[in-house]
Amino acid sequence: MFVLPVVGFFAAFNLFPTMFGLWLSLTDYDLLSPPIWVGLDNFRNLFADRMFRQALGNTLVFVLGATVPVWVLSLLAALVFDQAFRGRDVMKAAFFLPVLPPVVVIAVVWRLLLHPNGVMTSLTGGWWGITEIRWLADAALAPFSMIAVHDWAIIPFFMMIWLAGLAAIPPEFREAAAIDGAGPVRIFWHVDLPQLRSTAVLIGALSSINAFQTFALQYVLPNDPGGPANSTLVLGLLVLKYGFQYFRMGDAAAVSVVMFAMIMCVTLVQLWFNRRA
Amino acid sequence: MRLLPRLAAALGLTLWAGLAVAQPVTIRMWMHEHPPRIAIDKALIAEFEKANPDIKVQYDVISVAEYTTKLITAFAAGSGPDLFNNSSTLVSQYFAARILAPIDYAAMGYADEAALLAKYQGGFDGIRFQGKLYGVPTEVSNWACFANNAIWKEAGLDPAKDWPKTWEGLPAVAEKLTRRDQNGVPVRRGFDFNWAIPGTFWFTPNTMIHQLGTNMVDEEAYKAALDTPAAKRSFQFIQDWVVKLRLGGPQYTDSRTEFLAGKLGAECSFGIWGIPQMVNAKVDWTVLPAPRFEGAPSDNGLDAYAFYMMVNARSAPAVQKAAWKLARFYTDHGADLFAGAGLFVPRGEVMESPAYKANTAAPFFVAELKKAKFSPRVVGYAQVLDAILRGRDRLVQGDKIDAVLPVMNEEVNAVMNRERARAATLVK
Repeated sequence: MFVLPVVGFFAAFNLFPTMFGLWLSLTDYDLLSPPIWVGLDNFRNLFADRMFRQALGNTLVFVLGATVPVWVLSLLAALVFDQAFRGRDVMKAAFFLPVLPPVVVIAVVWRLLLHPNGVMTSLTGGWWGITEIRWLADAALAPFSMIAVHDWAIIPFFMMIWLAGLAAIPPEFREAAAIDGAGPVRIFWHVDLPQLRSTAVLIGALSSINAFQTFALQYVLPNDPGGPANSTLVLGLLVLKYGFQYFRMGDAAAVSVVMFAMIMCVTLVQLWFNRRA
Repeated sequence: MRLLPRLAAALGLTLWAGLAVAQPVTIRMWMHEHPPRIAIDKALIAEFEKANPDIKVQYDVISVAEYTTKLITAFAAGSGPDLFNNSSTLVSQYFAARILAPIDYAAMGYADEAALLAKYQGGFDGIRFQGKLYGVPTEVSNWACFANNAIWKEAGLDPAKDWPKTWEGLPAVAEKLTRRDQNGVPVRRGFDFNWAIPGTFWFTPNTMIHQLGTNMVDEEAYKAALDTPAAKRSFQFIQDWVVKLRLGGPQYTDSRTEFLAGKLGAECSFGIWGIPQMVNAKVDWTVLPAPRFEGAPSDNGLDAYAFYMMVNARSAPAVQKAAWKLARFYTDHGADLFAGAGLFVPRGEVMESPAYKANTAAPFFVAELKKAKFSPRVVGYAQVLDAILRGRDRLVQGDKIDAVLPVMNEEVNAVMNRERARAATLVK
């Protein structure tokens, strides 16, 4: 009886929407007429749909760009801020600032910075006399602009997690290694890194799930959401397009189910690694 | 003995009818947000309620960005409005889903369709389906081109004399107005298309294709015509504008914002409603006709569109009648809407009003409107437009037009076939 309110709340606001979404993915529903049962047709059609295949590819590229470089760079930043130096706390706070604003605010600010004749063009192209770079309007460049902005905003967050992991390593381990003649690189490789295994699993899972769910950046940053030429169209954005622009709720729900399955796989891998760690 | 039951029945029926008459009807009315119109709406509704004490109006204003999504979601939840306003580009979806009630002429106080049309000089092409009318226009609009006189003067040009009559003449004039840096990058554009508003690429290429005698989409046959010589000529012009001539493109600040900031020589995506914005921005303007293609068989300017007031076919019959009555009352005040909110409807009293006569651009817009065509209306408009935008994006990336147009054509056909079949399946 004591857990009934919690179970009821969970059933009403978690279980029911999930089951409803799953049922919706097996129907054709345009919001204006009653849903029609179509079985697995939506899933079959998805893999024949050029937009879905493009969005899936873009999402995987984004996940790759929003995970591996983030793990490495945030660990490097953590190793820097793990050292004692003057002004460390102030610099750490400044470095952490991009984590604080919402993604939409970050996207709006970067949209100005990435204007083809804007600040980023002056900073990078100015050396070679280039006065226009189409950061967001070039289909080849736009996906990498998304990754760069995402990584810039998220690296400090993961740096803090690495720092917590580093702080949890008993100092005696490093001292013992140093007494045995190990240099900083060997200490890092043979002492720190094995001790950071569970932190790495956590960061791997969080960053992957976060990257799979990306939406706001691709919605706000380009000139057209998901553009140009669908080069930044990701699965999260495709759900919005199918559901509330095309009124194909069944297809939107099917994409959501695919996303759910992908994220579930990542979570299972994380659980497996966690047990090993 | 037989008389008593009959008397009782008659009394009962009279009482029931009296109660039915006395039952107030509530109309839920949704309008998209257009700030200058809201005060007028409220005043008109108050006046209507005073004149019709048995009818109450529940008035809601919804932001333009959310309007369609909220409208369709409300219909899905069975709580859609009884009377609502929406653009001609989207009405096909509602018609296919049988949400639109045909006009009830009697409820509106018209003898028949001819009596209604006699009040207007056009504007109904966007709301006629299978010979029947499903709404009344609250705004009929077409875009035109506007020049920033100061920029033209600085370049030694006069928009009245130098504005090109043809698309082919436009690049040379735009180049004279354009300022470039040492790398040839435009730092001030002479003219550019409106790349930021997706609908521009429904109206603008379609206008060009109309001039060449065809249409992007045949809305009767549900067939795309995007792989034709007319479409190729139109999209080639747009591609050359960005890739070959480097006179503009989607990477720059959108044309309306830039024009109102006094940094763009000319642009073609303002309607008559844009003039107050130019006055506020202190831009000295000249209104100009859209260029035509050389030797084009049709003399049309930019495509027309309209906002229509429509009634929900799923509302109760009494509510539908009351809603049509309100639609008549509302649209009879077209002159107030034009004077107070800049929304034009081609009705006699609007064109006789002081506000119309004082507006120097109005006769020009009306003359262009008479030659304008409505863009095609199809089920799945958003998907068709997205397919066109994908093709447009590929063209401005420099892809070959012969590779892009067949794909665009195939995608649009696939969307239209699927959505029409779907509409037929879903609507029972």
